[in-house]
Amino acid sequence: MKRYLLSIALIVSSFTLAIGQNEEAKPKDKPVWAPFESGYLIDNQTTVIQSPKTLEYIIQHKFGTMDNGFSDLFGLYAPGANIRMGLNYSILKNLQIGYGITRLNMYNDFSVKYTIFEQTRRNTIPVAVAVYANMGVDGRNKEVYGLDYKGSDRFSYFTQLIVGRRVNDWLSLQVNASFTHYNKTDSLIDHDKISVGFNGRARFSPQSSILFQYDIPLKIQGIAEHREFTNPSKPNLGVGWEIRTSTHAFHIYVSTADGIVPQHNAMFNQNDWTKGDLMFGFSITRLWSF
Amino acid sequence: MNNRFFSVAALLIGTLMLMAFMVPQEKKKGGPWEIPQEYVTMENTYKDDASLEKYGKQLYMKHCRSCHGNTGEGDGPKARNLEYDPGNLADAAWQDGVSDGELYYMSIIGRDEMPNYESKIVDEEERWAVINYLRTLKK
Repeated sequence: MKRYLLSIALIVSSFTLAIGQNEEAKPKDKPVWAPFESGYLIDNQTTVIQSPKTLEYIIQHKFGTMDNGFSDLFGLYAPGANIRMGLNYSILKNLQIGYGITRLNMYNDFSVKYTIFEQTRRNTIPVAVAVYANMGVDGRNKEVYGLDYKGSDRFSYFTQLIVGRRVNDWLSLQVNASFTHYNKTDSLIDHDKISVGFNGRARFSPQSSILFQYDIPLKIQGIAEHREFTNPSKPNLGVGWEIRTSTHAFHIYVSTADGIVPQHNAMFNQNDWTKGDLMFGFSITRLWSF
Repeated sequence: MNNRFFSVAALLIGTLMLMAFMVPQEKKKGGPWEIPQEYVTMENTYKDDASLEKYGKQLYMKHCRSCHGNTGEGDGPKARNLEYDPGNLADAAWQDGVSDGELYYMSIIGRDEMPNYESKIVDEEERWAVINYLRTLKK
């Protein structure tokens, strides 16, 4: 019996040793270097989440449309600019929570982002996958909602699945699919919207990149409440320039949608880039590590 | 009376102007670094890892360039606002006098105006990528 047990122990230990040697021979595949410099990409989110215990402050600003040319300096001095100020905090390595407040509709948004997978250098995992969700609370006076007002009318929800890949040293691309729901909309407008998007970053110097995005709200009859789509939301095109420093990311861009909260753009954007409805905007982020 | 007053005033102003040329304009030099022994003898486990070259440069440009300049000579745009001279990282004699571990301590742990980067450059491999890139600045 003793001999039998000893034989088993020897086999098990040699097997364990063999596995150990195998693991040594195959070092752990690490996440790729910086697929994106920031968690933001013009109006979109990236799969990137800052290091744990990092607080991020962001100011996002959109000017008016360029329609009026020099009379309001291509929208820079147009009335109705939209501004959002927000804070994000990375609780864990791949988990971030955030809050922001936007001038348009006085949206208060509460968000969460979770990176499920990070792309690895030897393609063990070929893409990064993240989920972003937020709940918006419309902060305008209740008279906006008419006579049958309920507190829940203010709520809107946005959920997005993001799949990204760092293609090479200078190019990173993402696709996304989103679902938007508004508890209350005008009578002819649907409550739900599915949209898809494509965006990316092309780095041209160690600190600077070109950004681009194209988001398309879909007209899907299967989830529509009406036979015809009244004022369907328009695609959101954006092209920008990103500059990254140790603690800041700056975006200067031209884009179509006037909203900053993503569900607003998916549901209500009426600006049409094919008709020249474009506007300047910028974002500034500041990071503090604790 | 007036002539004498103007002569004395001119002499004083002239003296002050000349003295201005004698006042040192250089930034203060930081004292010698007190580096714990564990860092002095710390081994660079990523030495000669060519795969880190590009990323080391990117990290340097992102975190270090603003003070230390494009080539490490301490002439970045923020350097002029520093109280202490950030030094010349490209200086061969200086580079030869510090070990990789000491360079790691100076770059990642820091002191005074040199910030701590432990929470900004979290991964050990990334930290050594910066150190390796600093070595390439040597002239």
